[in-house]
Amino acid sequence: MLQVLLSGLAIGGVYGLVALGFAIAFYVTRVINFAQGQLLMVAVMVTAALSTTGLPTWLAALAGLVGSAALGVLMYFVAVGPVLAYDRFSFAWLVSTLGVAIVLETGAAIIWGPTSRAFPAMLNNNTVHVGTGSLTLQQLLTVVVALLAVAGFELVRRFTLFGKLGMAISADPEMARAVGSNTRLAAGVAFGVAGLLAGVAGVLIGPITFANPYLGDTYGIAGFVALMIGGIERPAGAMAGGFILGLLDEGANHFINSHASDWFPFVVVVAVLLLAPRGLFSSGEVLRRLRRTTTPMAEGTS
Amino acid sequence: MLTTTRHALDIRALSAGYGRYDVLREISLYVADGEAVALLGPNGAGKTTLLRAIMGMVPQRRGGITVSGTEVTHLPTHRVARGHAALVPEGRRLFANLTVEDNLMLGALHLRRDRARVSRLLNSVFELFPVVEQYRARPVTALSGGEQQMVAIGRMMMGEPDLMLLDEPSLGLAPLAIQKVADALAELRGRGGSLLLVEQRVDLAQQVCDRVYILTDGAITDECGPNLVGSDGQDVIDAYLG
Amino acid sequence: MTPTALGRATAAVASRRTAGRLVVPVVLVAYVLVTHVVALTSSYTQSLVLVAAVFGILAVSLDLVAGMAGLYSLGHAGLFALGAYATTLLNADLDWNIFVLLPVCLVGVGLVGIVLGLLSFRVSGLYFAITTFVFTLVIGVLASDLTITGGLQGLPGPIFPDFPYAIGGFGTALVWCVAACLLVTVGAVWSIRRSALYPVLLAIRDAEPFAAANGVRTRLVKVLVFGVSAAMAGMAGWAFSFLGFVSPGQFSWTVSVNILVMVILGGMNTTWGPLIGAAFISVFPVYVHIDPLWQELVFGAIFVLVIVFAPSGVLGVLTKLVRRPGGTTRTPVSAAEADALAVDPAALRSTDLPVHTMSVDPDLPAVECSGIRFRYGSGSLVLDNVNLTVRPGTIHGLIGPNGSGKSTLVNLIAGHLRPDEGSIRLHGRPVHGLDAAARPGHGLSRTFQTAVLVRELRARDNVAIGLYRTTPRIGRRALVWPVLPGARRDSRATATKAGAALDAVGMSRWRESRVADVPHGVEQLTQLAAACVGEPSVLVLDEPLAGLSTGEVTAVAGILTELKRAGVSVIIIEHQTKFIFEMCDEVTVLAAGSLVTTGPAAAVRVDSRVREVYLGQ
Repeated sequence: MLQVLLSGLAIGGVYGLVALGFAIAFYVTRVINFAQGQLLMVAVMVTAALSTTGLPTWLAALAGLVGSAALGVLMYFVAVGPVLAYDRFSFAWLVSTLGVAIVLETGAAIIWGPTSRAFPAMLNNNTVHVGTGSLTLQQLLTVVVALLAVAGFELVRRFTLFGKLGMAISADPEMARAVGSNTRLAAGVAFGVAGLLAGVAGVLIGPITFANPYLGDTYGIAGFVALMIGGIERPAGAMAGGFILGLLDEGANHFINSHASDWFPFVVVVAVLLLAPRGLFSSGEVLRRLRRTTTPMAEGTS
Repeated sequence: MLTTTRHALDIRALSAGYGRYDVLREISLYVADGEAVALLGPNGAGKTTLLRAIMGMVPQRRGGITVSGTEVTHLPTHRVARGHAALVPEGRRLFANLTVEDNLMLGALHLRRDRARVSRLLNSVFELFPVVEQYRARPVTALSGGEQQMVAIGRMMMGEPDLMLLDEPSLGLAPLAIQKVADALAELRGRGGSLLLVEQRVDLAQQVCDRVYILTDGAITDECGPNLVGSDGQDVIDAYLG
Repeated sequence: MTPTALGRATAAVASRRTAGRLVVPVVLVAYVLVTHVVALTSSYTQSLVLVAAVFGILAVSLDLVAGMAGLYSLGHAGLFALGAYATTLLNADLDWNIFVLLPVCLVGVGLVGIVLGLLSFRVSGLYFAITTFVFTLVIGVLASDLTITGGLQGLPGPIFPDFPYAIGGFGTALVWCVAACLLVTVGAVWSIRRSALYPVLLAIRDAEPFAAANGVRTRLVKVLVFGVSAAMAGMAGWAFSFLGFVSPGQFSWTVSVNILVMVILGGMNTTWGPLIGAAFISVFPVYVHIDPLWQELVFGAIFVLVIVFAPSGVLGVLTKLVRRPGGTTRTPVSAAEADALAVDPAALRSTDLPVHTMSVDPDLPAVECSGIRFRYGSGSLVLDNVNLTVRPGTIHGLIGPNGSGKSTLVNLIAGHLRPDEGSIRLHGRPVHGLDAAARPGHGLSRTFQTAVLVRELRARDNVAIGLYRTTPRIGRRALVWPVLPGARRDSRATATKAGAALDAVGMSRWRESRVADVPHGVEQLTQLAAACVGEPSVLVLDEPLAGLSTGEVTAVAGILTELKRAGVSVIIIEHQTKFIFEMCDEVTVLAAGSLVTTGPAAAVRVDSRVREVYLGQ
């Protein structure tokens, strides 16, 4: 039982990091980046490839993180920004981010081959005993990093001018520009942070999954499902969604059967969407702005 | 004298709009340094569009805008906002998820490295609106309409702009709150600020402004001193309502 | 309109009408010829064309909801899968005839679509896309994890029977069948695009309050349109099951996105766009013989490039290229030109205005609000105990400073908001519990402070939305509109009525112009014409003069006089007090959410309290 909880949290941390990336990019730009999973994959592949050239593992991993963050920024300026400039309310970004996902995935397969390759061990295989259960150091690191990431995000959001600017942009981008903030730059930064978080998740999960160009699909979808459970409007909720999804995965495998993690989380997602269509931790405030037409109510009185 | 007077705002034959037709048609006006100018006219005449065009929030088609000698035509909004012009928009548009103080600090975004200047500005806002200081840690949504308007004016002041733009600051406020806004605007003038004010309340405009432009159907149709509008009721209403 | 212009327009209409009659036979002949050719080609080519045709059905069905109604569904792969699996399983396990299964798929998947729509439309915009996306994921999980569906391996689909030997020579029967399905789908969507429902759907997409104000129950229409689209996707699934194996990989969420890409790539809300997109995306991987990875890479790059450089799709780019030499300029119009183009009061023929035929009790007030209290959410009180009585056949002015609650009161009367307390009666019948779409049925029409119209449609089509309620069976007939003589007659009648209403407000010149291309004043008057065309007994106008030129204001005054003579009651919010006091019988003054005074215009005009309200003394 405790073991299920622990492994659930460990894998949940990875899902949560991906979901947090989704949510941060969405928070600033109102765009769901369908290439989020592929950014994770890029970090994994770069790390794996560089470590075979004899680079120290930590340096290879660092290069992987830089790669995924840089690609996040690049994809905003190439594939998302121009689309939003044309029509902020269309869903064209859905197509362009998916296009980027395909390009990254097949690009990786072309460069490094479509099959799995070894990923360098990050930590030794020592385990930490927690009560009756145990975690590998790698798993423990995952949980800690995930918690640090969400705590760091919340600290930045609440206590720095930059974080408050992010909240201002999220609430009213036009007015944020009118007080002098370069919202395009901020959006680029948000995509970079999203890429970085995906990369961190990748480096943490790499030793378990090995390096494979098609990793992005699996973890992209998992992160998205976590996002649906937690709600898209609050990045911290997305992380919570990740942990919940991890627990559901492990719990289903343990208590139902060994393949139940394939379908059980979806039952939960459907239930969440039926009961709380905006996710468990959403306020519902922010998304109203997405509506294309202003209703007469929104025009106020005059 | 005339040639050496630096204008806080110079608009030269500006046309601007969204669709195929211009909302603003060849507007020319100026605001002298330290002057307060009111922009009156019926709803739909393009007053808000003009303020937004100055901020670069509406595509400028032809003509030009200079703020304190700096050409701001076609400058992106966030660069206009960095010390050239600042706007109190219609309906205030405070950042609803932030506190009063955060809203004010964001107004001084481009000055963030100059901490001394920011704290001096913050103090001058608090001096003008003591109630804002009292509520500095509260979320803006917890404030009354009049108090929110003060925060919005404070946010504008925090950028220390060459030109202050205010869009109907009296909208939806109780009489007492309107008087406070009027006092605050008079004080801003007294400190040497240059104001362009869109206002529906003739009395408020009269109280604060040196000159009045009348905007009708996207064009300037009249320019006069503040006393065009006497205290005689009906004439006043008709004079600027159409 | 000049005689030559009129002549040209008449000729254009006539040729369009002839073309309209020719379309059906021409298309049928083309179908037979093309299908015949394909049905006799190699089985390799056939399978290629069949896959493209199935995706064509899907793309066209998605375009119906995404392009016309603005609902970006990512559930189409799931609906597609339902059709395919239902056909395969019911045929294999229960031995149902495949031709019985076609209507089963249409109705069954259509109903699933309706339920999915009902659940998803609780939330709008992006959440609709998300909910339908999750639907596709769930269907995918079910397909791969249930034993009955054969898991990841999938199931062999049923065999489609060949033509009997006696009528040989036609080639493969399946090709004829799938082509017929595609033809029916394209025909139905094409027909909707030519029906009286089309402007209504676009209004739901772009101007929802305007649609609701004209009696459109927008949520219901959205759900039903989504149901129709789902039925088409079900049909695509039915057809797809005959092409070989049915397995989960063919219905993954990427398929949903691919279908959307087909629509956007080809051009949204066009007849040919989705077909071009579907053909390109289905055939591209087969015809471009390069390394499959490189091919996939190029594929993804194309997504990005098209969206970034040609956001209106292939057809959008083509249209632009074709139009440019023709000289349809989109350059801004100069001030002088705009003045010259404004509404001509001399063209005003307000005597032609349609007037209401409803029988109303002349003794009851046309509108009666009593004890209205209202606040937005938990905010402060916007209206506090407001009473308003409008006598039938009078013009009632509503004035007060900005922020006094006038627009809120009007939105309550028109049903866009509901009062927290108090009652609203129209001709004596309580309506405060009904929503906006029910108002036209009680004789009320309205205009909005800022015109909300469908910008890509002509002024005339926008006005025609005002006739939604009076067009019988508009939804049901939309699927086969152009072939129904009755529907065609209705279309002509609608066009005539809408045109007459525009003439009546002095806008003959702008009848055929897209709203996106008209000056502001014309938009305002188009709204007015749309509000009048439904023959209301009560007309509510929210700042109808905002942004109008002097000539246009004169035109509005003439229209109001005419409406009053016809017995229509009018409530008008306006800041131009001179206009108000000249036009209105009675005037009500609001300030800060409370009633200041109400009474005959002459009395209110000299009331000192009114001056106070405006001067703030």
